[in-house]
Parts: sequence; C-alpha cells; structure tokens
Amino acid sequence: MAKNKERVKKKFFHREKQLNRSAAGNGILFFFMFICGLFMALPLVILVNNALKPLDEIFQYPPSIFVRNPTFNNFKDLFVVMSDSWVPFSRYIFNTIIITGFGTVGHVIVASLAAYPLAKHKFPGKDILFSMVVLSMMFSYNVTMIPNYMIISYLGINNTYLAMILPAWQYGMGLFLMKQFMEEIPDSLMESAKLDGASEFTVFWKIFMPNVKPAWLTLAVLQFQQMWGNTGSMYLRSEKLKPMQFALNQIAGGGAARQGVAMAVAFLIALVPITFFLICQSQIIETMTSSGMKD
Amino acid sequence: MKNKKRLTLAKKRAITGYLFILPWFIGFCMFYIKSLFMTIQFSLSDVSTSAATGYTTKFTGLENLIYIFTKDAKFNQTLILSIKDIVIDVPLILTFSLLMAMLLNQKFTGRTIFRAIFFIPVIMGSAAIADSIESARQAAVGGISSQSAAITEASSSAVNLDYYVALFKDIGLPAGVIDYVVGAVGRISDVIDLSGIQIVIFIAALQSIPSSLYEVARIEGATAYETFWKVTFPMVMPHIITCLVYTVVARFANSEIVDYSYKEIFNRINYDLGSAMALVSMICVCVILFTVVALIQKKTFYYN
Repeated sequence: MAKNKERVKKKFFHREKQLNRSAAGNGILFFFMFICGLFMALPLVILVNNALKPLDEIFQYPPSIFVRNPTFNNFKDLFVVMSDSWVPFSRYIFNTIIITGFGTVGHVIVASLAAYPLAKHKFPGKDILFSMVVLSMMFSYNVTMIPNYMIISYLGINNTYLAMILPAWQYGMGLFLMKQFMEEIPDSLMESAKLDGASEFTVFWKIFMPNVKPAWLTLAVLQFQQMWGNTGSMYLRSEKLKPMQFALNQIAGGGAARQGVAMAVAFLIALVPITFFLICQSQIIETMTSSGMKD
Repeated sequence: MKNKKRLTLAKKRAITGYLFILPWFIGFCMFYIKSLFMTIQFSLSDVSTSAATGYTTKFTGLENLIYIFTKDAKFNQTLILSIKDIVIDVPLILTFSLLMAMLLNQKFTGRTIFRAIFFIPVIMGSAAIADSIESARQAAVGGISSQSAAITEASSSAVNLDYYVALFKDIGLPAGVIDYVVGAVGRISDVIDLSGIQIVIFIAALQSIPSSLYEVARIEGATAYETFWKVTFPMVMPHIITCLVYTVVARFANSEIVDYSYKEIFNRINYDLGSAMALVSMICVCVILFTVVALIQKKTFYYN
C-alpha cells in the first residue's frame, strides 16, 4: 500500500516537473531578469547616490556610481533655498496636488465612461470615432503646441488650473486602453445585470469598473506620472499657480553651485511617482480578476 | 425622450452610448480635433506672422507638401529612417515586454520590487527628471566634455560589431536577418527603456486570464510550451494590439522626424512647412499602423 502511494506520488511529481520549468531553467530566467532589472534600476541607483554625494564627488571625473562620503547636505541646502522662495513653497506643492489629482482622477473617469459604449454598444459613427482617437494619439505634443495654445487662450482658461487639467482629460491613450480591456468582459455578464434591472450606469459602475480594475490602475499610474512631471510653463504664468516641478527646476537650474541641490530635487521628483506606482501595483495583484462567470 | 412616441431598443442604447461619450467628446473636439484641423490648414497654406496682427494664412494648396518632398534636403531621408526605426523597435519591445510580464507574473519572492524596477524607466523618462539629470550631467561633465566624448567613443567600439557581422555573413545567414539582429543588439537599452508601460499592460492582461483555463490545460497534460501558445498567447492577443498601438505612438513621439518638424517650426520658424512635415509623417505611420492592426485583428481570438 505504502509502496503504491509512493509510486503515485512519484508519478505526480514527475508530471509536476514536466509542467513547471526545471530549477536550472528558472535560474537562467531569473538571471536574465536580473540583468535586465539591473539595467533599469541603474538610473535610480545613480539618482539616490548622487543625491547623497557632497559637491566635490558630483564633479569628480571619472565619475563613480556609489557615494563615498554620504551627506544630507544637499537636502538641507534644498530646504534653505525653498524657505526663501517667492511664494511659500507649500503653495507649489498644493498646485501640483490639485493639477495631478484632478488630472488623473478626471481622466480615468472621463476615459472609462467614453470607453464603455465604445467597447460594448453598437451605434453609428463608432468606428470613425475610434479611428480618430488613435489618430489623436499620433499627434505629437510638440507639433500641436501652437494650436493648443491658441485654443486654450480662445477658451479663456489661459493661466488657470483648467488649462492644465482639461486637456489632460481627453488624452486618447486612456480611452484606448480602457476600451481594449472592457472588450474582454463577457457580454453575458452585462446582460445578466440588465435582466436584474440595472441601469446602464449601474452596469458601468458596479460591473465594468471593478472588473477592469487592473486597467484603470495602469491608466492612473501612467497619467499620474505624466501630470506629475508637468512644469506647466506654457500656460501658467502667475507664480501662485505654478506647480512644484517648475519651482524645483528653477532651483536646480542655478548653475554649478546648485548641482548638489539639483540632485536632491531629481530624487524627490522621482520618489512620489514610484511610491504611487508601488501602491497601485499591489492593488493590481490583489484584484486577481474573477469575472464572476462560470461558463 | 418623452415627446417622441417610442424609441426602439437600438436607438435607446445609442442614446445612452452617446451620453456616456459626451463629456469626453466635447473636450476631444475642443482640444484635439480643432488642433488637427489647424495643423491641416497651416500645412496647406503660407503662414506669415507679424507682431501686430498675429498670424495670417494664405491658401497655397499642395505647395508645402511638394516642397518638403522635392526640395527639402533631409525630409525624405529622415522620414524613412524614422519609420525604419519604428518597424525594427516595435516587435522587439513587444516581445521583450511580454516575456518580462510573464516572468514578473510568476510567484517569487521580491516580485513587487522587481515590478517596480521595471517601471523605473517610465518614471525616469518624464521630462522633469530627465531635465534635471541632464542639467546635472552637463554641469558635471562641463569643461571636460571633449575628453569624455573621446572616451565614450573608444569604449563603445570595444566590441567590434563589424567583425561579428562579417563572421555571420560568412556562415551564410541572409544579410537582412543579420542587419536586424545587429540593429537589435544596438537598441537593447532603448528597448528596455521603452517597455515599462507595456510590461504593466501585459501584467494586467495576464491577470485577467481565468485560472480555470490553466487548470484545464494542466489536466489535459499540456506542457508549459503548449500552454503558452494555446492559452496565454491567444488570451493576451487583444492586448498585443493595445501594446502595439501604444508602442508605435510612443516611439513615433520620440522619433527623429517629429524632432525634425519641431525644429522646422521653432528653430527655422517655418510653421507651414513644419506642420506639413508633421502631417505627412503622421499619415505614413498611421497607414502602417492601421494595416498591421487590421491584419492582426483578423487572427485575434476574442474570448466572448
């Protein structure tokens, strides 16, 4: 009996082994990933190290990646410079939060709303609309700068938060992403909800949005990252409205003596999107979509 | 809806559909369609600016387009080069990011950290950070810039690519394949830099594959290789299109031709010519993109 069990066990494990990769294969894959990861992590490593370098090490040639005598002087200097800026520094932070927050949340909502009928309804003009979306993504920001500026000033929202927030809502990318993911949701799920008397909005909000959570979190990460890095120097002229990014760039652009501060600035700028990404990522993993379907 | 007698179900649905799209559509028309039309208008006319009146346009038909194709010194060349870059890079980025997403989707310790690491290039690519790093680098290199250029040139040619190319040609591999591989090797850092978002999209796509499918495959005795081609690949196929479009868009935005038209506009102050260049290159890339997407879409499997 015991022998039989052993044999069964062996057979089972044999199967397992065939399915999963061998230890050596896993090792190779891990190594490959490690190398690529190293490549990608390098900028961050340099960023962190540079932020901790004293000024003489920053200018050292040939440059070294790792810091020898780490100090927090760069950050201290940064706070000193910050404290005597034109408007209180908290104002810049507040501006950034307003612009990034409204830009990201608004974009996710507006894009998802528009993506839902594009993915799941049939109506005339749908294909043309979708082609226009893809076309609009091709539009390089650099080239349409002048028309954009003219439109913003024509609408009279130049030099307000709206000039930053409103155009951000209509990026084609979000709509495109959400549509692609919503198409994956089974029609039967939508129909069963409708049979139970759900309105279109309920279907959208209670069925679709939870199910495409990985998609809109991805979109939020993408949009956050873009909004966060925006200096807004094109539309925002009033010092009170300018985002933190602009102020930090001003500080960092102060020539050779400010290089240490510039490094601290770059580190701080990168820190927030990475944190945001980490939070969203753990959410994406937790979702582990179960569409609620058994078919 | 009450004043009408009765709406068919299809019409009702269409109306709710339009309502959902409306908030997005208004803004889209305002900010994007308008600027598209303005760009078309500029590229078909002679734009002159003056301090007093702003700008004036005079319709000249296809003159600008003819000029950029026949008279402009570098436009044709740059356009072809940029398209070639896109064609080479995009399959590489897609393959790499799918592979990485699959690795990162497995369970292993430190997975979150690895995922974060693979997202770093996206964050580092944002203009503000890139600017501050670049300004720091310039200040640091400053006086010794000429020297450093010589050093980097010397180090990059340490691996003599030409030698290996000749070696492979000797074996008898077709030149096209070799060129592609050599190009690919030279682009590794570009590829890695540009695949951050795609990895995230693919991870999200992999997460949405029902685990029951894998169970079935396992019960039926499929190998890992078969499982990939019969389950994973068809299921992420729609998102390969997603990533394809995203990659082409992102790559195009960073391409030389966009840079060239930007310089035409802002450095040489030829707004009409620059718009025409942007328009032509955009149309070229769009035509390629739409054909490729249409081709893939035919083969795509939709779970519904």
